[in-house]
Formats: sequence, structure tokens, C-alpha cells
Amino acid sequence: MQLTKTYSCFALLLLLCSCEKEITVNLPPSKPSLVVEASINQQFPNLNYVYISRTVDYFNPDLSLNGVSNAQVFITSGSVSGTDTTWNEGSRIQLFDINNIPGVDSLLQGFTGIYFNPLLIPQVGVPYRLDIEVGSEKITGVTSIPKVVNIDTVYWRQELSTNKSDTNMFVTFEFNDGPEKNNYRLAIYTGQNPLLIGWGAAESFRTFDDSFIDNGKRPYSFFSPFKYGDTLNLYLSSVGRREYLFWESFVEAANNGGPFATPISVKSNIKGAIGSFTGYGVSFRRMILR
Amino acid sequence: MNKSTLSLCALAIAFLFALNTTGQTISGYVKDSATGEALIGALVKAEKSGTAADIKGFFSLKVSQGVHTITVTYLGYQSQTLTVDVSKDVILNIRLPQTGIKAKEAVVTGERNNKNVTSTEMSRVELTGEQVKTLPVIFGEPDVLKAITLLPGIKSGGEGGTGFYVRGGGPDQNLVLMDDAVIYNPSHLLGFLSVFNTDAVRNVEVIKGGMPANYGGRLSSILNVNLKEGNDKEYDVSGGVGLISSRLMFEGPIKKGKSAFMVAGRRTYIDALVKPFLTTEQKANGYYFYDFNAKAHFNIDEKNKIIFSGYFGRDIFTFKSPVNKLVKFQVGWGNAAASLRWYHSFNKKLYSNTVAIYNRYDLNNKFEFGENGFQLSSGLQDWNIKHDFYYTPSSKHQIKTGVQYIYHTFTPGIATGQVGTISIDERINKQYAHESAVYFLDEFKAGKRFTINAGLRLVSFTQVGPFTEKIFDDQDVEIGNGKSYGKGEPIKTYLGLEPRFAATYLLNSNTSLKASFTRTYQFLHLATTSGAQFPADLWVPSSKLVRPQIAYQYAVGLFKNFNENAYETSIEAYYKPMFNQIEFKPGAELFFNQNLENEMIFGQGLSYGIEVFGKKKFGKLTGWIGYTWSRTTRQFDELNQGEPFFFRYDRTHDISLVGTYQINAKWSGTMVFVYGTGNAATLPTGRYAYRAGYDIEKNEPKFTFVDLYDKVNDFRLPAYHRLDISFTYIKKKTARYESSWNFSIYNLYNRANPYFIYFVPDVDALKVRAYMVYLFPILPSVAWNFKF
Repeated sequence: MQLTKTYSCFALLLLLCSCEKEITVNLPPSKPSLVVEASINQQFPNLNYVYISRTVDYFNPDLSLNGVSNAQVFITSGSVSGTDTTWNEGSRIQLFDINNIPGVDSLLQGFTGIYFNPLLIPQVGVPYRLDIEVGSEKITGVTSIPKVVNIDTVYWRQELSTNKSDTNMFVTFEFNDGPEKNNYRLAIYTGQNPLLIGWGAAESFRTFDDSFIDNGKRPYSFFSPFKYGDTLNLYLSSVGRREYLFWESFVEAANNGGPFATPISVKSNIKGAIGSFTGYGVSFRRMILR
Repeated sequence: MNKSTLSLCALAIAFLFALNTTGQTISGYVKDSATGEALIGALVKAEKSGTAADIKGFFSLKVSQGVHTITVTYLGYQSQTLTVDVSKDVILNIRLPQTGIKAKEAVVTGERNNKNVTSTEMSRVELTGEQVKTLPVIFGEPDVLKAITLLPGIKSGGEGGTGFYVRGGGPDQNLVLMDDAVIYNPSHLLGFLSVFNTDAVRNVEVIKGGMPANYGGRLSSILNVNLKEGNDKEYDVSGGVGLISSRLMFEGPIKKGKSAFMVAGRRTYIDALVKPFLTTEQKANGYYFYDFNAKAHFNIDEKNKIIFSGYFGRDIFTFKSPVNKLVKFQVGWGNAAASLRWYHSFNKKLYSNTVAIYNRYDLNNKFEFGENGFQLSSGLQDWNIKHDFYYTPSSKHQIKTGVQYIYHTFTPGIATGQVGTISIDERINKQYAHESAVYFLDEFKAGKRFTINAGLRLVSFTQVGPFTEKIFDDQDVEIGNGKSYGKGEPIKTYLGLEPRFAATYLLNSNTSLKASFTRTYQFLHLATTSGAQFPADLWVPSSKLVRPQIAYQYAVGLFKNFNENAYETSIEAYYKPMFNQIEFKPGAELFFNQNLENEMIFGQGLSYGIEVFGKKKFGKLTGWIGYTWSRTTRQFDELNQGEPFFFRYDRTHDISLVGTYQINAKWSGTMVFVYGTGNAATLPTGRYAYRAGYDIEKNEPKFTFVDLYDKVNDFRLPAYHRLDISFTYIKKKTARYESSWNFSIYNLYNRANPYFIYFVPDVDALKVRAYMVYLFPILPSVAWNFKF
């Protein structure tokens, strides 16, 4: 699909002589559906949260998040024996609407539908079950946090400019991709803030697997440069296959458009709603590019 | 080839020789008087019988003893009428001159006959390369595939594109042949131009229904592009200079009157033209294509002829990152084809045609980033042999029988390279298949008014090893190997019987009723999720999971000519159910996917419609008008909640109007008007916010909107219509030199035709705005054509 996109970019060169005009499109309204974005990881409590919202009509003038409050949200851990998973109901922990958590409510103005509990500390290799009730609607999902793949080394090449702050910094990091099948999400953020409030706060993302670059020390190069002095934050996360397929389809769906676009639906890994429950095995590196 | 195929072949040949014969024979060759080229399909008629010249221009006609009037006609050539006294077998070598310059420049030229009424063919259309050049064009580029979309029942895929859709079928359901070699990707420039160089093209025929038994392999249509064989009398050079490419064709005798060659080439130069205006960094990026045709024929003796035809073409796109000098990317794709034909005449009634063909399509991508890099490639190739017999035992029977065998090799993906310490050498399993067919057909007169063309085609497809089945878990992860098959070991075989039937009942000499029925199988399927033709689109074979596509087509028609065949009219109705149709799941990953079959879904399709056609063939004003009313749907359990939905190119109304007016000896003008109901499109009906976060610096939420789709192809884009005009000016024309200019204006009234629609949330106005992109506004162009 990435290759197809490359061709699409090439085809867009043909559009140099194209024109456009605004038109009126009348489409029938869609039935509202629940949407869930649930994330857990082993390292950053601030990235353990569930966001619940509802879909809206395409032409609805309300461009806000349409979050859902008053949901009951629980996460339960379990254990795996062979192909069987046993859930430890005693481990069930409730996540609360942030607007009802003193100290947090004032931090995230304008956000509804975020559920959070700082006491939730997930572990690598443990299965987790998500249970949500919104009125009579029930949503369930299962994930686990795969083995962490560490960022080993980070290095960069400079393209000097007369003005030092304009100097391009081409960054490469390396990690050891093991023999097992790995799936990755990479979140990139430049800035000094110590906390990423929600994965969406990152500036850009990559989703990739090891389908043909497998088992060895693997460099990952950024084609576009950063700038001299940038503080670069890299979150390399290993995720499960279902979670990877969801995020891969999300990338396609979010970037869909243009003359060759086809309708794309995300490949949800939860039941009862659109969305995903993703366990991230996070490896984090922060560096100042100098 | 399996035993049943061989048995049927033997039976067919035995039947062929067992037929009784009586009377005398008029036989011979029909050729171009100037170049000596065989006029394939030239119509040779006596009072009560008729036949068509074969691939060598050979014909054989059974008549009674006595004086007969023989009429020979061919599209684009002056007809000849001969009086022949037949007391024994007669040999005639007929040379037809091309029609004069006035007629030649007309879009519709040639025959003043009622072939369209009397023949059993009912959904067949034909154009010559010369006719294509007179039509209005974009960027000065005449194009065969764009020209045929002006014919009724054949729809264009979109603005400026060469993709075509026949009676509700997809673009992969058209078999595109160049001198019998399959061209799997017939387009350059992502579908904006076809791979056919009009200077090298002699004629193009499209069979969109009532497919005779000697054709098969695709559900919807056969597009046959025949290249020029070369002038065996004198040397000729012709060519053209357009805005983005130039073309040149050179032909001449190898041995006068015995053998000749033709070579033709074409290359774009838009990359060279824009280079002076680009920065140094931009100059590293570019696109161009080229193609090359070569053909030669050798008349060994009166009974043997050998023809070689070859094609090679490529598109090359290069990219060098303007911000990161280590990043380079190059992609190249193209077709290659070669065929060697041996034509042998056993006697005046029986001849054979044997063709060995090789064709290939491949795509190669090369990515480099510093010391790291990898190459990705994919493609397919065929080895193909055909052996046909043509037998005319009497004036009442024309028999064709033959066999065909193809060995397919599919290469879905190979990745090689080096990234870090990792050496890349990954291969998606190659697939191999045998495809074979044996057919028999007889066109026979069942009475003075009744002619029947009945045929049967037995097709077989076997996927064979070497192949190792891969096993995937429910998360699409490869978890091991399944059964392995050795080289040539059958994995899955499909057999199909394709009855073909066409009949004509003459109401009078100018009016006939026709009916046809066909059943067709298709064993190869195009993996694409887009309406465009991408180089990375893969052809995949039928397998254990992927069953062959099947279509039935029923058609009836009334054909009537007026004013001594100066006007042709027809009305045809068709009904075409299609089964085992293939779509891909929304967002399917098609490239480098070992488990591609998991992305497929299977359903059915239905198309029906009425086509009305009228053509004026003579006079200063010539041309045609075609109107089609049709409806085409698809139904898949996994799409649209299982409800049938409109095919993307369902077009309720489709009109094409082509008119050429010969103003004087030097000037002619052509006008084209097309109208089509807007394409069916799937547009989002809802949206949701996802990938939520909070921007601490701006103190506001961050999120990404994702579109939600409900119904498939539930929205209609605005109607497509445009008017084009062109003027051809013959600057100079002598016996040895011809120079002409083509001035075109595409989209004369500047219609904004939809190319695609996109949406933009307007946060300030609190609304989502819809924008329609239209590709080509009014576009003038000029091209120079020459011949000497």
C-alpha cells in the first residue's frame, strides 16, 4: 500500500493542470456508533487510558471530539496457559472519567470521554481484558504487552548551514529485531515536555513490521531531517499483530483521499465498537541533537 | 495438456476432414496494392456465398460452374468487383488500393457493403490506425484505446484514461492482444496513454459480445491490435511530433515482393523539455516512457509464410529526495512480447496458423538510503502456443478448429538488499499454471436467410508446483508450511465448457435479426483496489481458493442498412450475469503479501442494457452516433451489508457522437461529443476523532478525523460530458511525401468533469466543504504527422 501511495504521489504530478471547485454533496446521515481507543504500556502511566467517543454525521458542523462520559470502564489482568487465558477477576481495576479525578480535570480542558487510573501498572507478557459499558452497550477487547525491543544506538549526520539552528540533522537509530515476528509503532515528538499526554500528542507516527527486514541489527533512518538543537523523543513500541493490523489500517484510513482513494475501514480488534485496545512494549530515548 | 482436451481436438480435426465438398473453388489472396500487406478479414463475396480473408489475406470460396460476380471489400480500401468465368478452380490475386485522401481522412471509411447485416458477428467493432489519428486528442497524442471508448458499449474509465469497460466488465476482463501476444498492462503514464504506437498499428478490432469459439480467456471482450506487416514494395517512413512525445515508423522490403519489415519507436520528452526550468535538485527527478515495435514477414512460397512480431516498452520514474541526498528511488515497469507465426496452406480449402508467443510484464523498484537499500520486483510471464486450422469445405461451411496452450509463471514479489546487518532475500511464493483450450466452430448456412455460427470451446486450467502452501494464524501471521508440491505436480484443476452460438436471419438484403449466446471462463484475476491502472497491480491465478470467473452473455439485435448501405443502423440488447467475481477487502494489502488470497472476497455481478448505433459511411459528412442504456451491479456478502450495489462504472446513459466533415482537399474537421452518467462512488457518511492527545503548549486537544463509510457506491458523481474538435490540414501530399497537421481542442466548452471529490473541514465556518477536482479544462494541442 505504501508503494501504491508512492505511485499516487507520482500521479498527482499529472494534476498540475487540474482545477477544482466547491460543490454541494447531500449524503444520508449515518447511525452513531461507539468508538474506543484504549492504550496500556509498561513504562508510562500517563499513556494508560481509554478514550470513548461516538461517530457523527459527516457534515455535522460540530468538529469536536464527541467524547462519551458516564461509561463504566474496567481492565482485568489474566494469565496464559497454553492456548487458554484465565482472567483474574480480583485484579479488575476501574478507570475513571478524568473530569472526575481531582487534579487531572483542570489539566485537560475541553476533553470528555477520557478514562484513566494512575494505579494501573501493566506488565510485559500479561494478557489484559477491557470491559466497557455505556448504558446497555457493552464493549470488550483483549491485548497484551509484547517483549520490549530496545533502541540500541542513535546517531545523526549534520548538513551544516550558515545559521547553526538551520543545520539539518539526519537521524538514524538502531535496534535488534529478533527472530520472532515483530510489529512496531514508532511515535516521534520534538520538545522538552517530559510527558506525552496521550499518544496523539506526538508529532508523527510510523507503523511497520519485520516482514522482509527481519532478524538482525536494523537501522531506521528518518528521510526528513530534524534541526540542530532539537530535543528528540523516540517511543519505539512493539505491539501485537492484531494491534498492528489495526494501526496499519488506521494509517490508511486517516490518510485516504485523492483520485485513487478507495473506502477503507479500520480493522478493529475489539467487540462492540470501532477501535482498538493496544498494549505497547515501549522503549524510550530522548536526546538533544547537537 | 490433459487427455480430454486432446480427444476433443482429434475429434474436431477428424470431423473437419470428413466434411463433404462439391463444386469449384475460387481462391487467392487479398493484399494492399501499395504495400503488399495481407488484408486480414477482407470480405470476398459471390452471389450466394462469401468468406473472409485469413491472416495471410488468403480466401477460398466454393461456387458452382459458370460466370460469377465477385466483390472484394475491406475497411479503408476501395472495393473491387470482378466477373469470373468458372469452369475449373480459379486463383485470384486481388490488390486493393486504399481509399483516396478525402475518404481516408474521414473517420469512417471504406466499404459499401452489408457485411454488418449479413455476418453472424454482432458485437464487433473495428478501427484503423489512420482513423485513430484523425480524432481529437489530448497533448497531440493519438491513442487507440481512447478511440475505442467512443464506440457504443465501450466505456472510458475516466478523464483522459485508457482504461475501458465493456458491458459491465472490469478492465481486467478485457483480453488485450498485440499480434496475439497478451499485453497485461496496456498503458503508459498510469493509464493516460496506451502502449500502442498508432504509426505501427494497422487496425484494431473489439469483440464485446458473441465471442466466437476461437477466442477466450477473459469474460468481457477481446481487443485485437494488429500491427503493420511492412511494405514489401518500397521503403516508407512515417511519424508524428506531439507535445509530449514523438514517434517514428520505418518499413520496407527485405526482398521485394517476398518479405518486408516494419520498425517503430516512440519516446516521451516532457522530461527533457522541462529540464531547463528545474533546479539542480529537481533535475534528478523525472519520468519518461518509450516503446519499440518490430515486425517482419517472409513469404517463403505460395504455401508458407512466416511473420515475426516483437514489442518492448518501459516506463521509468526516478526520484531523488530534495532534502536528503541519501534517499533515491527508481521504479520501472513495462511489457515485452514476441511472436513467431507460421502460416501454411495445405490446399485451397485448408490452411493452418501456428503461433509461438512469449510475453512478460514486470515491475522493478529500487530504493536506496545511503549504504542501505533494497529492490522489490514482481511480474508474470507466459509461454504460449496456438495452432489453428481454417477449413472451407463448401460454400455453406467455414470451419475453424484449434488448440492453445499457455504456461504461466507468476512472480508476486521478490525483495533483495541490505539493511544494517540484515541481508534481505524474501520471496513471495511463485505460482505456475497450465492453461489450455481446444475449440471447434462452424459457420454454416442453414438456408438462404439463415446463418449460424456454432462453436464449442473446452478450457482447462491447472495450478502446478513447485509450490509450498503457507499456513497463517487468525492474526494473519505465517506460522509454518503446509503441503509442498513438486515441479509440475497438479495442485488444482478447473475444466470448463464454453458453448458459443450466434445466428443471423436475413429479413431482406438490408435487414437482419441476430442473436448470440456465449459462456466464458477467466482464470487470471487482477489484484487492484483502485479504479486506476497501477504498475504494482498484480495478476493472480485461479487456485484452490480462487475459483475461475464465469460469465454468460445473451444478446439479440436488429441490423438495418439504408440508402445502398451508406447508412448502417443497429439496436442490440444484452443480458450478462457474472459469477465468482473478485473484490478486495477495503484497505487490503496487495503488495508483497504472502497471504493475498486472504484479502479477496467473492461475489457476483449483473449487467444488462440496450445499445443503439447509427453510422453514415459516405459523403462529405461521415461519422456515427451511439447510445447505450445499461445497468451494472455487483453483490458481495461482505460488502454493503450483502445488498447489491452499483458497479463503479455503471453508466445509465452513455452517448458518443463522432462526425467528420471533409471541407476541401486540404482541410477536414472532426467533432466528438460524449456524455455519460456520473460514476458511482462511495463517499463517507460519518466520521470520528481518533488518536487523541493533548497539546500542552497550545493547551488544546489533538486528534485525527477518520472517515466512516456506510453504503458502497451509493453516490453519483456529476455527469461526464465534453465536446472536442480537431482539424486536419494536409500541407503537402505527393506520391512520395505527405505532411499533415492535426489541431485539436479538447473539452471545447470547458466542462468541469469530475475526477474525484475530497472534503475539508472548515473549522472557522463550522462545516465540512466538498471540492470536486476536474482534470482537463479546455486544452488545445497540435501534432505534426508525416510520411515519405
